[in-house]
This record gives sequence, structure tokens and C-alpha cells, in this order.
Amino acid sequence: MNTETKPDVNIDRSLGDFSYDVDYEFDAGLGLTERTIDYISDVKKDPDWIRAFRKDALRKFQGMPMPTHWASHDLDNIVFENIRYYLSQGTEPKRSWDDVPADVKRTFERLGIPEQERKFLAGVEAQFDSEAAYSNIKAAVGEQGVVFVGSTDGLQKHPEIFRKWFGKVIPTGDNKFSALNSAVFSGGSFIYIPPGVKVKHPLQAYFRINAENFGQFERTLIIADEGSEVMYMEGCTAPKFETSTLHSAVVELVALKGAKIQYITVQNWSANVFNLVTKRGLAHEDAEIKWIDCNIGSRLTMKYPGVIMKGRRARGEVISIALAGDGQHQDTGAKMVHAADDTTSNIVSKSISLGKGRSTYRGLVQIGRHLKGCKNNTECDALLINTESRTDTYPAITVRGRENACQHEASVSKINAEQIFYMQQRGIPKAAAMSLAVNGFVNDLVQQFPMEYSVELKRLIDLEMEGSVG
Amino acid sequence: MENELVAPVWPEWFDQAAAIQDYESAPPPTRKDEAWRFANISALDLGPFVSAPEVSNEGRLIVASSGLERFSAKMVFANNALVHEEAPHLPGGVVFTPLEVAAREHEALFRKYFMAQPVELGSHKYAALHKGSVTGGAFLYVPPDTEVSLPVEIFHWAEGQGTSVFPHTLIVCGENSRVTVLDRFQSADGLAAFACGVNDLHLAKGARLTYVAVQDWSRDTLAFHLNSTIVDAGALCTSLATNFGGGFVRGESLSRLVGEGARSEMYSINPVEGTREVDQRTLQDHVAPNASSDLLYLNALDDKARTIFAGLIKVQPGANGTDAYQKVRNLILSDEADPNSMPGLEILNDDVRCSHGATNGPVSEDELFYLQARGIRREAASRLIVNGFFNALLEKLEDPALRAHLEDLLAKRLKVSQYAG
Amino acid sequence: MSLHIQNLHANIGEREILRGLDLEVPKGEVHAIMGKNGSGKSTLAKVMAGHPDYDVTAGSVTLDGASLFGMEEPDERARAGLFVAFQYPMEVPGVTIANFIRAARQARLTEDEDLDAVEYYEELYAKMDSLKIPRNFTSRAVNEGFSGGEKKRCEILQLAMLAPKYAVLDETDSGLDIDALKVVSDGVNALRSPDRGFLVITHYQRLLDYIVPDVVHVMVDGRIVLSGDKDLALKLEAEGYDWVEKEALATA
Repeated sequence: MNTETKPDVNIDRSLGDFSYDVDYEFDAGLGLTERTIDYISDVKKDPDWIRAFRKDALRKFQGMPMPTHWASHDLDNIVFENIRYYLSQGTEPKRSWDDVPADVKRTFERLGIPEQERKFLAGVEAQFDSEAAYSNIKAAVGEQGVVFVGSTDGLQKHPEIFRKWFGKVIPTGDNKFSALNSAVFSGGSFIYIPPGVKVKHPLQAYFRINAENFGQFERTLIIADEGSEVMYMEGCTAPKFETSTLHSAVVELVALKGAKIQYITVQNWSANVFNLVTKRGLAHEDAEIKWIDCNIGSRLTMKYPGVIMKGRRARGEVISIALAGDGQHQDTGAKMVHAADDTTSNIVSKSISLGKGRSTYRGLVQIGRHLKGCKNNTECDALLINTESRTDTYPAITVRGRENACQHEASVSKINAEQIFYMQQRGIPKAAAMSLAVNGFVNDLVQQFPMEYSVELKRLIDLEMEGSVG
Repeated sequence: MENELVAPVWPEWFDQAAAIQDYESAPPPTRKDEAWRFANISALDLGPFVSAPEVSNEGRLIVASSGLERFSAKMVFANNALVHEEAPHLPGGVVFTPLEVAAREHEALFRKYFMAQPVELGSHKYAALHKGSVTGGAFLYVPPDTEVSLPVEIFHWAEGQGTSVFPHTLIVCGENSRVTVLDRFQSADGLAAFACGVNDLHLAKGARLTYVAVQDWSRDTLAFHLNSTIVDAGALCTSLATNFGGGFVRGESLSRLVGEGARSEMYSINPVEGTREVDQRTLQDHVAPNASSDLLYLNALDDKARTIFAGLIKVQPGANGTDAYQKVRNLILSDEADPNSMPGLEILNDDVRCSHGATNGPVSEDELFYLQARGIRREAASRLIVNGFFNALLEKLEDPALRAHLEDLLAKRLKVSQYAG
Repeated sequence: MSLHIQNLHANIGEREILRGLDLEVPKGEVHAIMGKNGSGKSTLAKVMAGHPDYDVTAGSVTLDGASLFGMEEPDERARAGLFVAFQYPMEVPGVTIANFIRAARQARLTEDEDLDAVEYYEELYAKMDSLKIPRNFTSRAVNEGFSGGEKKRCEILQLAMLAPKYAVLDETDSGLDIDALKVVSDGVNALRSPDRGFLVITHYQRLLDYIVPDVVHVMVDGRIVLSGDKDLALKLEAEGYDWVEKEALATA
């Protein structure tokens, strides 16, 4: 089978590649200094402790080296002085699409967000560069006591819950990019689900980068109180610029006793975005945190969603699909830290590399020696489409104690030529056959996405595949 | 024959001073180095060690250097000095000499192969120390189309408090040659020693080498064993490293498949207990097409034992048709044991079959029950199962006499009485 | 002198499988237990052997008067004279049959006694020959890669080598063709003795043509509901179990 054909470098037919001129009222300018922090804090009317938190984080960020001793040297190409750290039209999101300024609204209309909201969502927050332009929650959900607001609103209006958990799951100095986010964060969601409340429909956030030379640093904190359940979905896009764009989010989840959180990401960044995200959840007794993560696009994504299982019988799960297009590097994985008896975790990762794309799995599994009844299962499968495609797997497993068990398996394969031949013989063009094969490869995972998302995902995969076969 | 042994000397061109300089200028490892992730850096203090004195009673060690009933040739080194050599069944043309002799009499071969591969898995510094300090060591050259039917045996002994030994084994297999080597590393006493060994294996086209290292240093020994294996087209290397002894053992093993259809099998057996640590780093480097490699490392950890396995399968862009496998299995016998596994893949070619795995778990309760149901006490049943866990790997060795010998050594090590059969 | 089971109740998890089972196998006799799948036959074998998955909630089992449940570990029970030939024998990777049986024999000696290797092998080979087990099996790992018939023959070999007071054969006929069945039954018949009792668990009558029992018991829902002579097995084969169950219900 000939898969030598060069992939089309400009896979930019995807939905998100467009941008409109927008008048920004607030612009922190290029570069990052204490003055930038003060500018952001002033605009956002931060309380003093947040201003201090940001400045402490800035010092940590500046003091930490790039983690290139294990990560991609492409990180060295980020020029922090050439990035704008805050851009907005104001800090107050609109409650109705009618109030969203037209120049911003047309972006979201084109992305189909208002339509999705009407169809199947319990609430939506739409972030445009640094701030949410729109934020709304269905009345019935609000009446149950569910809080779904931006991070600024969260810290100002719900300080007692916000402050208790903010930065507790992911400490500022966890890594260089969590420190950066902690210094300049803006936007993202704050969600609180009261005890026993099961939110039927998903809450959704949409993150849109519109401006060039810009960094988006949203901060999300979700607290599911005892016995509650919530599903949160995020989508992300950006237009394709010549210069690089930085997206560096921090997402902290707290599932209290018996709570369930599902966090679903479908990102479709353009190929100039550095996507360096820290995501971690804390699962208390009998709680369950499940990350379903789909990474398409970006120049370099580094993201390893984690679960710390601190209560007995807590469960953690990461389901990950990564598609590394030509010239892209998806460096993704999972962290599972077992800190109580009878905790179980499961990691399933599937990656596809196209053209000169590279997908990397990094995993960390820890089970402490005084624990018993803990189990981890990890499966990583990589599919390589072209001869120059690349995949790496770097798990680190420390499982102590006689009454714990873990199993890690990984495999690498290429598209089955016989399968393609069979489909072609039935009259299916080669590209479509390849798409089918790739969809088949990830199908069992795609099934775990809500229907609306799985359709979207298949479409994105087809789009990416189009350029990769001749 | 023994009286003919003269202390060998290096030729002048062999510059050990430069190697020592290299050692001294190389920075010591830190845990930030990926190659030393999880490693116990504090175990690397070479302060207490001294150069090796002459051994007190070489006769005793020569007698104790008994391995297989039938062998083709044998060398015995005690504290770096050659104390015995014999070659009852070595075919003509095969060169089996101490390194220094090889450097003088087979200079071209020696220069081509001696430490020809850079040490890439973290211990460059200690390789330099080895090069700057090595005396003795065995050089084996098997000419093309020559078969050495009986195994070659090499014994390395360390004796005395804080003694430093630098065992070296260099094997060069000519095209379509065939040989088996059993390399034994032992302490003459229970004292702490520093062992810094290198073994390099070179296989020309179609060669077949079985190399078994049985490391049984004292429980207080700090040991490095650095291996590189270069396999050319159609050649097959089967290597097995057993770590029975040593307090802190760092093993680095690299197999590079440079010819089409080459195959390297890398096996390791590690019963680890007490506070012993076995830190192993491996690389299966697929350069040539249609080559295969199979790695299986077995660890059984008891008490506060610690193991690190960091392995990498690397498939280079030109290595179409690669078939590579890598697996580490940790059998956990105590709650305090600390196994760390980092099985890695770097695949730069789509035409591959690669998989790896890591498992951790206790002795199966179902197996224990079955043995107990036959009247075997739980503790003995557990040891028998551990023995079986390792024995299953020995089955991969072709030579029945060698396999039986290793089964015997293993059973003794695990205090399991057994019958050959 | 007997294997005596009284009012035995046992659970797996929350589920009760044995519900007051009574049975006595006098030394020198062969008893058979027949019953449908799920009646608890295999559970009985595992409970007696001391499998950790089962909890005994009431009742007793004695071997010549010695309480089985007074012995906590399965190996103690085995050394006390109980042998269970399992329906699905475990594979024990890397442990050869020779070493496995040897370890079991050694465990029956005192600490300073050692098994005589020559005698041991002579005995082992003789018994393997009579069971038509090829001699090279001694160096194969226990049950690993064995066919169903090989596994069963290996169980009978162990039975012969360990010479228990009472042997429980759990579905020993399953997976055997007629030749293998004959080999296995001949092996068992050769081991019948006034000093040994057998409890043969099966759900086909066929095995009992070869190993002729003194008494046949029928097990329904974790209890023995009917006992009789070997003709009972023939009746069950011909008429099925429904009538027994009905009778059992009627008398319950």
C-alpha cells in the first residue's frame, strides 16, 4: 500500500479557522511582568489575596526552568515577551446572546454554540480570548442550587467555597505552566453542585482564541458535593495564525463523597497553538472522576489529566484520543495516584499519528505500600498512518504492596493494508477506507462521548485524514 | 599451564589516564537525568572503595570456579588478575585471551571492538572509570563459520573489604560462528566491594551467541554491569542476566540491530530481597529492517527490595518490518517492596509490530491453594512458585546442560530443593 | 473410620451453596455424588480442600474423627490425608511435575528427613507408566499447556504419589475421551484399598461404569436428597433428575 504521499500541510478546512476583527477595551500589552499582573488584577477587581497569589505564582514561573529535560524542545520556541496575556471587551459576561456584541457573537454563531445550547445543554459559558462573552444556565438547573459562573464571579460571589479548593488540587508550583496560569488566569468556569443534585444535561464551556500573539489562561474549578453528579464538556478552537498562540489552562476537580464528575474535552486547536494544560481531580470516598479527552490539532499539546484517589473505593478514569496531524505533537497521557484502599483506576489511550505527526503517551501510576485492594489497568494503542509518523510511550509505574495489582499494555500498529484493500475492493475510495479504519480504531472510545460530540469527533477525524492519503 | 601466567601489561597506545580524566570531568548523575529517574543516587558513593589487593588464596578460588561439567575453555580472574586458564575443547582459530594480550596480539580487532559503543544509558562516567582501571578481562574471538560446541566459562572474583574490581568480557563472533558464554561474578567473602563491569557482544552476519551472566556479588557490593550488543544481519544473540547478589546493582543493556533480520533476546532474572536494589535500563535500538527483539525482565521483590526497570524500544525511520517486544513482570512478595517500571517506546516507522507491558502483582492465591491442597506449606509453596516464575524464562535457553545448570543455581539461590529432570 | 460430613453449610460471598449436606464415606468404600450443574458438587470439593473463596457457616467434616475445619490452611488438610482431584487443575508456570510432587512428598516428612531421589524417581516413573503418561512429562511445568486429558491424568498421578486416606475426584471424567477415561479409571481402581475412601463427583453415569461405586448419592441444591446403590446412577442416566427433585420437594 502506498502511504508515502505527502499529507496536505494546510489542514485548515476545519470549522474553527476564521477570525474577525474585534475591538478590545482591555489589553495588557505584550510581555509579562508584575505590571501585567497589576493590570489584570485592576481590570478584574481582584481581592488582595488573589493579587498576592498571582504575584507569588509569577515568581515561581520565572524561577522554574522549561521542563525540556524530559519534554519537547519545541517549548523553547515560546517567546513569552511576544504574547499578550489579557484581552477583553469587559469582564461581565452577557446572559443573553442578544446582548453579546455582534463582532463576538458571529464567531459563536458560526461555531454553532447557541444552537447546541438550545438542543441539549444545561448551561453554557462562551469564552472569547480572556473573558466569557456569554454565560447562562437553564433556570431549572439554577433552581437546584447549581452554580455555573466564570472564575472571577466564582471567587467574588462564592469566596467560601472557592477559596477552600482553589489551587489545592494543583498547587501553583506543580509545573511551570500551572505557575504561569496561576499568575495570569482569567476566565474558565466555577461550578458547584450541591449535595445529591444530579445535573441531567451537560454543562458546556467553549473556549475561543480570536487574537494573534495571545495567551489564553482559563482556570476551571468544579466542586461536586456529596452524592452529586455532573458532566462538563469543553470545546476549544482558534484560527490559524502565522505566529504562535499559547493556551495554558488549569482545571481542578473535587468530587466529594460519592460524587461523580465527567469532564469531556474536544479540542480542535489550529496548528500554531501551544496547548499546555494541567488537569487534575481529587476523588473522595466512593467518588468517581472520569476524564474523556480528545486532542486534535495544536502545534504541541502537553496534557496529562490526573486523578488523586484519596478516599476509599474512589475511582479514576482517563479515556484519551489523540490525533497528531503533520507537524503536530500530541504529548498526552494520564496520572493516577492511589492514596486509599480499594481504589481503582483505568487508563485507555489511543493515538493516531499522520504525516510527520508525533503522538506521545506519558503515564504515571502510583499505588502506595500501605494500601490494599487497589487496581490500575492501562492500555495504550498507537496507530501510525504514514512512514514518517512517530509515536512514543513513556509510562512510569510504582505499585507497592502485595494486595495491589496493576497492568500496563501498549501496542503500536499501522493501518491494516488487508483491511484497506478489502474496503477498496468493495468500491470505497482509499481515503475513505483509511478514515473508516481510523474511526474503527477509536470507535470503542468515541462511544463514550455524548452523541452530539461523537458525531463532531468523527467529522474532525475525517477532516484530518483527508490530507494524509493520496 | 598455570605457571605460564605472567601479569599482562597494556600497550602504550591504550591511554587509561585519558579515561580517568574523562571519568573525573564527567558530572555525577542526578535524579533529574531521565536516565537516573527514580534512582538511588546516594548509593553511588565510591568513597569507601580501594584498589584491589592480591587475593589471599587463589587456589581456593580456582577450585570454587566450577560451573558446567563440560566446557570448552575457562578463565578465572581474582581481584582483576588472571589466576587460571584452560582450554580443553577450544576449536583451532578461536582466540580466548586476557584483554591486554588481545590488545598486543590482535590489535586491529581489539581497536575495532573494545568499548566501541558509547555508553548511552546513563553510566558514561562509570564506563570511563572502567576503561581507565580495567586490567585482565577476557577477549573471545570466534572466527567465521566456527562453532564452539561447549560453553566458554569466565569467573570473576572479588575479595577483601572495599575492593574494586573491573571485570570485562569482550566477545566478537565472526560470520556464521556459534558460541555460548557463561560469565560468573562472585564474591570470595561477604564483604562490601565495588564492581564496575563491562561486557560487549558483537555478532557478525549469521552468528549465534548465547551469553549468560550470573551475578552473585556479596549483598553489600555496589555493582555496575554495562552491556552493549551489536547484532548484524541474520545473527541471533540471546543474553540472560541474573542478579542474585549485590546491594545496589545498576545494569545497562543496549541491543542495536544493525543488519536485516537480526534478532536480540534480552532476558533478566532478579530475585531481590532485604534492602537490595536492582536498577536496570535497557534499549532495543532497531536500525535495520526486519529485525526483531524480545525483552523479558522478571523481578521478584521481597522485604524492602527495590527495583527500577526503564526500557526503551526505539525503531529508527529505516527499520521497516520491525518486530519488538518488551515486558517487565514484578512479583510482589512483601508490602514494603518498591518496584518501579518505565517501559518505553519510540517508534519512528509505521511498518512495525511493537508492544510492551508491565505487570505488578502478588503470587496468585489460586496457585498457592493448588500447591497447598497437595500438602505443601504456604511458605514453601510460595518459594516454589517464585522458582517457577523464573524457571519459565530459562526454558528459552536452547542448551539443556546450560539450562539445567542455571536451574540448579537458581534453586540454590531461592533455597528450593529440586531434582533435575 | 470415615470421611464424615455433617450439616455442612457454605457460602460464596452472600450466596449459600451448600445447605446442610450430610454424607459419610467409610474407609474402603467408593461413593459417588451425582447432580446437575450448579447443584454445589464442585463447591463441596473446594470447601473440603479449604479454598479461600468459600465461607463455611455451619457444620463439620471429619477425617477419621479429626476435624477438617480445625485445620486452617489447605496444606494441613492435605497432609491430614485429604486429596482433591480438581475439575480445573491450576497451571503452575515453571514448576516441573517432578519438583512439584517432590515438594509435596517432602512436606510430609519431618525437617531432617530427605527424600531418596532414586527411589522417588523409580516410583514416579512406574506410576507414570501405568497411567500412560510419557516420561518426559516430568520436566514439563505442572498443567501448563496440557490437554484436558493430560491434566486429569496428572491429577491421578499426584493421587497415586501422595497416597491419601480419602480422595475426592471432582468431575474427573470431564474432557476425557473413552481411552483416556479408561486409563484414568484403571488408575483409580488400582488405588482402591481397604485403607482408602473415595468420593467421586460426576454428572454423567458413564464414569461409574468404570469406577463402580458402592453407594450413589444425588445432590440437589446443596443437599444430598437421595442415596442408593449403583443402579441409582443408571436410573438417573435414563430418567434425568426431575423425578428426584420432585421427590425431594415432596419430602422436604
